[in-house]
Order: sequence, then C-alpha cells, then structure tokens
Amino acid sequence: MTIRPRLTRRAVVAGTGAAVASPWVWTSARAQAGGMIKIGMPLALTGPLGSVGQQQKRGAELYAKLQNEKGGILGRKIELLIEDTVGNPATCVRKAQEMVERYDCRLLTGITLSSEALAIVPKLAEWNAIFISSDNGDGRLTAESFVPNFFRANTSGPMGARVVSLYVKQAKIKSFFALGLDYAWGHNSVQVFEDEMKRLKVNFIGKVFAPTGTKDYSTYITKIRQSGAEGVYLVLAGDDNNAFLAQAAQYQLASKMAMLTEQIELVALRAVGDASVGLIGSARYAFTIDTPANKEFVELWKAEHKTVPDTFEGEQWQCMKVFEAGITKAGGIEADKLRPALEDLTIESVKGKVLMRKCDHQGVQKGFAVKVVKKEGFDHPIPEVISTFPAEQTTPPCNKMTYED
Amino acid sequence: MSTLALLLTQVVNALSQSALLFFLGVGLTLIFGIMRIVNFAHGALYMLGAFVGYSLAHWAGTFWLALVLAPLIVGAVGAAFELGILRRLYRRDASAFLLVTFGLALVVTEAVRLIWGPDALQVPAPKLFSGVVFLLGEPFPAYRLFLVAAGAVMAIAIWQALERTRLGLLIRATSQNAEMVHALGIDVNLVRSGVFGIGCGLAALGGVLAAPLVTASHAMASTVIIDAFVIVIIGGMGSFAGSLIGALLVGFVQVFGNYYLPDFALAFMYLLMLLVLVVRPGGLLGKEA
Repeated sequence: MTIRPRLTRRAVVAGTGAAVASPWVWTSARAQAGGMIKIGMPLALTGPLGSVGQQQKRGAELYAKLQNEKGGILGRKIELLIEDTVGNPATCVRKAQEMVERYDCRLLTGITLSSEALAIVPKLAEWNAIFISSDNGDGRLTAESFVPNFFRANTSGPMGARVVSLYVKQAKIKSFFALGLDYAWGHNSVQVFEDEMKRLKVNFIGKVFAPTGTKDYSTYITKIRQSGAEGVYLVLAGDDNNAFLAQAAQYQLASKMAMLTEQIELVALRAVGDASVGLIGSARYAFTIDTPANKEFVELWKAEHKTVPDTFEGEQWQCMKVFEAGITKAGGIEADKLRPALEDLTIESVKGKVLMRKCDHQGVQKGFAVKVVKKEGFDHPIPEVISTFPAEQTTPPCNKMTYED
Repeated sequence: MSTLALLLTQVVNALSQSALLFFLGVGLTLIFGIMRIVNFAHGALYMLGAFVGYSLAHWAGTFWLALVLAPLIVGAVGAAFELGILRRLYRRDASAFLLVTFGLALVVTEAVRLIWGPDALQVPAPKLFSGVVFLLGEPFPAYRLFLVAAGAVMAIAIWQALERTRLGLLIRATSQNAEMVHALGIDVNLVRSGVFGIGCGLAALGGVLAAPLVTASHAMASTVIIDAFVIVIIGGMGSFAGSLIGALLVGFVQVFGNYYLPDFALAFMYLLMLLVLVVRPGGLLGKEA
C-alpha cells in the first residue's frame, strides 16, 4: 500500500478550508488573490428588506462581471465578498469584521439597512476600511454620525424627503400625515419631512410608525384617513411597502388623498401591480432617467437580465462607478490614499453629474420626482420622471439633515 | 368618521385578521394534538401556499381555483412528508421532530426562492371582492369581509367535522389514546398522515387568503410562525376551540392595541401570552402543564 502523506494532508487542509469558509462567499476569479480588489458586501439578502439586498447584489455583480471582462480596475480583478446579514446590525458587524480580518478586505459597500450602517461606521477607522454607501438613507451618517472613512454615493433619506417637499410646494397640497417604518431610516425621513412641511407652512397633522414585518396595515390606514389630511407621506420599503400599498388600494385610500412616498422601487410596482398606479414620490434612481450614461446602463442591464434595472440596482451601479473612479485616481485601494482621492471627486453617472463633496462625503446629485404610470410594452406599472430638481436644491448643507431655504 | 363607524371597522378588521391567524393556529394545534409534534415548517408551508396560489391564479386566471387547489397540493406535500420522513422517527424523542420540521422549513423556503425567485409576487383579490362595501358610511374592503366569512365557515366546518364525522372521531380518539385506537384495529399511521396533511393544507389556505393583503413574499414564513405559536400557546396545545379563541384574542389585541398605542404594537401579543401563561400555564383550554 502506498502512502502519500503530502497529498492527504493537502486534501485535509482543503477540505477543512472549504468547511470553514462561509458558503456565501462568492469568488469570481481565483487567480492572483493578492492583487485582487476585494469589495465586501454584508447584505440583507433575506428578511423583510431582502429584496433591497438582492438588488444591491445584482447591481454589484453585473458591474464586477463587466469590469473584470475589461481587465478590472488598475489591471486588478474585482472580487465581491457577499454575505447575508438578514438585516440584523449585530450580524452585519460580525460579517463585516470577518471580511476585514479573515479576508483582508478593506472596501465595504452594500450594507442594506441604515441601522446596520450606523453600527458599522464607528469601526471603520480601526479596520482601516473605506465604506461607500449605495443605499443607506439615514441623514445622520453624513451629519452627527459622520466618520472620515464613510462616503455616501446614493441619495439619502433627507434628500428623498426634500424632493417630495419640493414637489409638494409645486403641487400646493395643504395638509399632511406621515407613516414610516419604525427604525432609523423611517424616523429620520419622517422628521426631515415634518420640518420641511413646517417651513413650507403646510399643516403637518401627525405621524405614526409601523414595525418592520407588519402584515395588517388596516389600523394605520384608518388613522391616516381619520387625520383628514390632503396627502399622506410614506417611508416604507420591502414587504411592508407592498403590504401597505396592496391594502391601501383595497381601502381606495388614493381616492381620498394624495399618496406620496419617499422611494419608488420597481420591485414593489411589480408586486402590487395596479395598486401602485398614481403614486408619486422621489426615486433615488429610475430606469427612465434621461442621461446618456443611464441609457447605456439600461441596455447593458437588459442584455444581462432581460428586464430593466430597479432602484438599488442603479444606485449600486453608481456606487461601483464611484469606487472605480476613486481607486483609479488613488492608484490603489489603501484607505489613506483612497479617502483623499474620493474627496471632491466628480463622476458622470447614470443620474448625471455626481460630486463626492469633501465636507461630509455626501454625493451631491440631482433629485427626481416620479409618478407611477401604466405604459405599453411593460407588464407592470413604471415610474415616469415628472420633475427633476437640481443638486443644489436637493442636497442639504454640509453635515446637516435639514434645509435652510 | 364617527366613533361607532370606527369601532365597527376595527372590529371587522380584527375579525379578518383573526380568520387568517385561525387557519394557521388550527393546523398547528391539530398536528400537535395527534402527533405531539411542534411543526416548525408551518410558516414555510403557509408561504408555499401563497406562492402555489400565485401560480395557480395566474395559470387559471381565477383566484378561486387557487383557493381550492393550493391547500390540496400543499396538504399532499405535508402528507407525503409524514409518510416519507416523519413516520420513521416516531420512536425518537421530541428533539428529532423539531430538527426535521425545521429542516423542512429551510428546504421549502429555499425551494420557493429557486422556483419563484427572490421577489414578492402579486396575487390580486378576486374580482367579486375587489371593491369596497360601505359600513356606516365608511368604505371598507369587501375582501376583508370575505375573510371573516371564510374564517367563520371553516371554523364551523372543522368543528362539525371533528364532532360529527368518523374521521373526526378517529382524530379525537387518536389524540387521547393512540395505542388504544391502534389496538381496536384502526390504522393510526393513516390518521397521522391525514391530519398532518390537513394541518399543512389549512396553513396553505391561510397563505392563499393572506396573499392579496400582503403579496406572496418570502418573509411571510418567518413573521407568521411566531404568531401561530403564540395562538396555540394561548389557546392550549392541541385544543381546537383554544386555537379559535387564541386567534380571536391575538387578532383583537393586535388591531386595537396598534390603534390606541402604536408604540407598543409588537408587545401586546406577547404580553397577552405572558398573562395567559401566568394564569393558566397549559393555555386557556389546554390541559394543565
């Protein structure tokens, strides 16, 4: 009997390694591991906001695939480390820490919930990692909770609320009630909207918050109707948003008042169909935005997925473009080089010009008000851009969540 | 809105939620009564019902076919699971059932993700009930009234079936003393397969009925299983009437609690359960633990 100790040991090591390594870690290319650009994405792939995490995943994956076909960034291939956090901040910190410590990954993005992002940012300095947000809405991330290694490429919650308030000013709606999800983003956006309404001298009648995972929205709908407001402002996402819209349509709420929402996503329009028609809101991204870069992106997306890209697929794409421009300018991915390179960086993105301003690392960008309409050629309602607001109007002053004018 | 109209709409809302909760709770409690198994896959089967219902409704173009066929299909899946897997484990202790039904929940969840994709899917309410009915001048969704009626009809049907039919007699007898029933020449295994299938089918019925309210989504499974356990614990494990009372209590506490004290929306159900456990540890209609 021949004994091959070396082979056996290697097999054991490989086997143990495979067993220990998390099953979700996706390696796109195996060669030149030291030279790869690792981007960590602790995503809420499941749970009530799973649909958002799934979009972020698809957005980043398409970018990585196409960019790697072109040779990557600075000749280095991109490797995405993807893990599911179920939307739990503690799990998110643990998974991010694992990415940093075990896989030496110093670039983070795609953290789905603001509550998760708020748990991550205090750790960035210690990890020597740069985190570019692609969807975190909470205004505090670029205000009181701001840390130098955090950047936000996406439209924030306050910016979304601001777009709605700019629209309200145009549409002359006189009184409002608000419904938000009972966590960081919901409270923050409702607060910003309330302040905006007060400044506009619009009567803000009241607000209510629903826990994530609420199945029956009847009591909230009753409260909204009882308020007698002319409009309701919604800060909902994922399954909660779908449940609310489906049930509100059954109550024919839209016939009583204008329904405005902080964000409009295709995934919700597909899930609730006609119940979403007529809804007005800000869209952080919509495939109908009319820019050359967006037209190109939509075509790339269609070629890959046979459908049009959704909100966070576009937002994640924009975020990856910020990574690309920053890393190219810095000539590397080390935090000390990348941070200054990202500051005051301008890119031509799917939403037009985006400036990563130095003062609070917020991406200065246009705001879009959209209306949900039915259109030929689509088997679901789509968001149509009805107003575009310039970046100076939608982006708050540095380190602020509120607006002065 | 007048106070009376408000009260009426809230009561009907609570009844419609109770109906959905009842389908979950009664299936879970029937299975526990007969088999002494806590079925962790109950929420996943509820979700499976919603997704199967989605496909059937789209394929046939009518919600009604989905309402009839989805519970039958999921019931068959449940019965097959009992036949193929659970049956081999009856001599083991309770932890084996916890593990294997939890495993079923994971398998069903991932299978649904593979077959139907990760996004929520639309199941429109049937045309007949898609409008509003005016209750004291207030528009109210007709579909919710339909849910109340469906819940009442099913509760009476299950009750009558348990009390008046031979199958009901066998179920009650098996839940009290399976060995004696076996000794009398009845195939207890068949009763078990049947009851497990019926319990799963009832969960699926709840899933199909809930889909027009919440869309068919993956999170249905995890959010609903806790509600189902709470109902069964409040009503008493294995008690049919207990599951009905549990569902009504939870439905009313959730709707009225959410309305008057929205900040404590999540807490009410658990406070209710805590109260019941302190006063009657075996549940309201359960045997004393």
